[in-house]
Amino acid sequence: MEIDLLFKIAAIGILVAVLHQVLVRAGREDQAMMTTLAGVVIVLSIVIKEISTLFNNVRVIFNL
Amino acid sequence: MDIVKIIGVGLIALIIIVVIRQYKPEFTMYVSIIAGAIILFLVLDKVTGIITLLTSLSKKTGINSEYLSILLKITGIAILTEFAVSICKDAGETAIASKVDLGGKIIIISMSIPIISALLEIIMKIIP
Repeated sequence: MEIDLLFKIAAIGILVAVLHQVLVRAGREDQAMMTTLAGVVIVLSIVIKEISTLFNNVRVIFNL
Repeated sequence: MDIVKIIGVGLIALIIIVVIRQYKPEFTMYVSIIAGAIILFLVLDKVTGIITLLTSLSKKTGINSEYLSILLKITGIAILTEFAVSICKDAGETAIASKVDLGGKIIIISMSIPIISALLEIIMKIIP
C-alpha cells in the first residue's frame, strides 16, 4: 500500500499520455479520448478507495 | 526512523509530480492526494498512542471525559479539513478551499458549545 501506489498512478498517467499521442498520430482522436477517460477513471477509483480508508481510520481513531 | 519514511514519500511524490506535469497536468493532483493520504496513514499510527495517554491522564486527574472526547473530535475535524483545504489550494481552487475551511470552523464551534456553556457557568459561580 505504501509507495507502490504512487508508482502505479505515475505509470498509468504516463501510459495514458503515450497512448493518447499514439492514437492521435494514428488519426483516431475519439479512441484517444476514450483511453484518456479510462485512465482517469482507473486512477480515480484508486484515489477514492485510499481516501475512504483514510477517512475511516480518522473517524475510528477520533471516534467522530 | 518513521520521519525518514515520511520524507521519502514526500520526495518521491514530488519527483513523480515533476515528471508527470509535462505529460498529463491533471494527474499531478491525484499523485499529491495519494501522497498526502500515505503520509497521514503513517502519522495516524502515532496518534493512537497519544490518545491512549491522554485518556489515561484524564481519568487520573478526574477531568470530565466528555470534554476530552469533544476535544479529540475537534482535532480530528481539524486534521481532515486541513487535508482538504491544502489539496484545494494546490489545485488552485482557493474559493472552494475557503468554503471548506469555513464549514470546518462552523462545525468545530457548534461542537464546542457544551464546553463554552460549562465555562460560563463556572464563571457565573465565581462572580457573586
